Amino acid sequence: MDIFSDLIMGLSIAITPINLLYLLIGAVIGMIVGVIPGFGPSAGLAILLPMTFGMDPIGAIMMLAAIYYGAMYGGTITSILLNTPGESATVASTFDGFPLAKNGRAGPALVMQAVASFVGGTMGIILITLLAPMFAQVSRSFGPPEYFLLALMGMLTLIVMIGENWRLGIISALIGFALGTVGVDLETGQGRYTFGSAELIGGIYFIPIAIGLFGLGELFFAFYSGLHRTGTGGIVNYETEERFWPTRMDWISTRMTMVRHSILGFVVGVIPGAGATIASLMAYSTERSLSKHPENFGKGEMAGLVAPETANNAASSGAMIPLLTLGIPGSASTAVLLAAFVLWGLRPGPLFMEQNPELAWGLIASMYLGNMALLAISIFAIPLFVQIIKVPYRVLGPTVVVICALGTFSVNASFVELYIMFAAGIAGFFMRLYGFSPAALVLALVLGPLAEEALRQTLAISRGSFSIFIERPASLWIIVVTIVLVVFLPLLNRFGSKAETAKKSGI
Amino acid sequence: MRLAFLLVVLAGAIFYTYIAFVDLSFMTRSGRLGPGFFPRLVGVIAVLFIAWSVFDAMRDRDSTDAGGSNSAWSDAILLMALAVGYAVLLRLFGGFVATVIYLAVALAILNRRRHLQNGILAVAVPSGVYLLFDSLLNANMPPALFDMPF
Repeated sequence: MDIFSDLIMGLSIAITPINLLYLLIGAVIGMIVGVIPGFGPSAGLAILLPMTFGMDPIGAIMMLAAIYYGAMYGGTITSILLNTPGESATVASTFDGFPLAKNGRAGPALVMQAVASFVGGTMGIILITLLAPMFAQVSRSFGPPEYFLLALMGMLTLIVMIGENWRLGIISALIGFALGTVGVDLETGQGRYTFGSAELIGGIYFIPIAIGLFGLGELFFAFYSGLHRTGTGGIVNYETEERFWPTRMDWISTRMTMVRHSILGFVVGVIPGAGATIASLMAYSTERSLSKHPENFGKGEMAGLVAPETANNAASSGAMIPLLTLGIPGSASTAVLLAAFVLWGLRPGPLFMEQNPELAWGLIASMYLGNMALLAISIFAIPLFVQIIKVPYRVLGPTVVVICALGTFSVNASFVELYIMFAAGIAGFFMRLYGFSPAALVLALVLGPLAEEALRQTLAISRGSFSIFIERPASLWIIVVTIVLVVFLPLLNRFGSKAETAKKSGI
Repeated sequence: MRLAFLLVVLAGAIFYTYIAFVDLSFMTRSGRLGPGFFPRLVGVIAVLFIAWSVFDAMRDRDSTDAGGSNSAWSDAILLMALAVGYAVLLRLFGGFVATVIYLAVALAILNRRRHLQNGILAVAVPSGVYLLFDSLLNANMPPALFDMPF
């Protein structure tokens, strides 16, 4: 397979006026979603997924992917100007982003975060281009035992990353698995937990749960946290600054920061469950330990902003690898993206790139274009996003409820799904409040049916013997990697959390 | 509140596990794993973990409860009540009319003393959403249970 001819073919598909329009719309929506505190890419994707139904699959997937990585760009604007991260992956960007803005360097900080995001995102896509076909090649030998173990790996890594609330993470995942068992059992035709309802025969649909948990649940939690009461009075006014563009020193001092954290972010992103948040915190911590002036971190050091920004964008690209080549989402956002693929009748996995080259390479090519567009948008459209930040939450809240409700209904014209969405919203609020993990629930809802089917097939092949998992070399390797990750990831998590703790205690 | 939430989850898990053991068979007639295998596994583990959390929550009852202020709770519950009301309105009056009523009420409560702004939003947002879903995307909008005279 010639990667470059595939990429050129992908570009020829992505560069059509209508696809470029979808890409731009997705990028802008992604940035808007990122700018709104409390809403991350998962919420944006879940809420907006139903709106792509009238589109052709390539355009829809390109737009959804642009929302996904666009949210990473947008989330930092509020981190810098308001000291309020748009989502968890941009928490580390507040550490030096806001001090830079307070020191009268908001303009350079905004430009550098856009450039860092662009470099991280683009490096991530270059690595996807080179590595995705290789991953697909390796995973072609995978059968049901490997798929079961991969699903298990995805869940376990996500749960260990939850940290001290790991038990609540397991309960969240088990609720997701339980919801995934509703509907007719495909092997025997027996109904499970349908209670005579015709609407539940096909199972509990993923979209209402995702929209409820991430859309409404987050919104209720934002109201509980009082976000609708806090105004935007603390926003830094960058327009009065003398100098908008970064200095030569800013570029020179951060060029290697961008390179190293692109690679680190990508690697962390590929690991299921790790994701952009941990990548950004790790990058901040690493950059501070490598810096000649660690004492400047937390006081407005440009490298302290560039490092997490590069890493979180590279991580969001990295997370596409297991999704495209294994069909295993490593995070809630990629689980929603997987749901989008499935809705379009596509099944990501080892054969996905071979069987759907136009779509796979069109998507990859569109990510190059999307990052270029986002670079321009996030520098030149800052005034627009500042206006969006100023829209009060008390007005935004009811409007989000409307979009969630009508979006859910539009999928299958089902009132039952609408009620499920509202119920999931209320449950999502309490889950968020008491330390449960909505992301683990959604991931388990997606992976549960896959894991169950794979486990039953595996035990049918092995006539009920679990030794099949250690007899097959590929399975054994996945077990070893899972054990390493389960042991290693909490250390990474602790490393990342140290940056947050150190910042909070002013060290 | 945390304990109450955990007890509700525990009750759900026990019910789920009960159905798995009573209604769903563990093995099929051909000796393969049946539809009850996975639910039983999930149910039993869930009951154990939730019971453990309930026990912990009962032990640390005073220290673990989320101590949100009354206003925090009232705001979140108000928005939830408005959302549930909206679900009922959607069933009765359909997408457009229900959205106008819901936004008019919600904004009057949440965005006080800005009558003109609220009035404009209560009409403009449903119109925009209607145009987007019904005309542009050709998507389904909830139909009204009762036909409106307009």
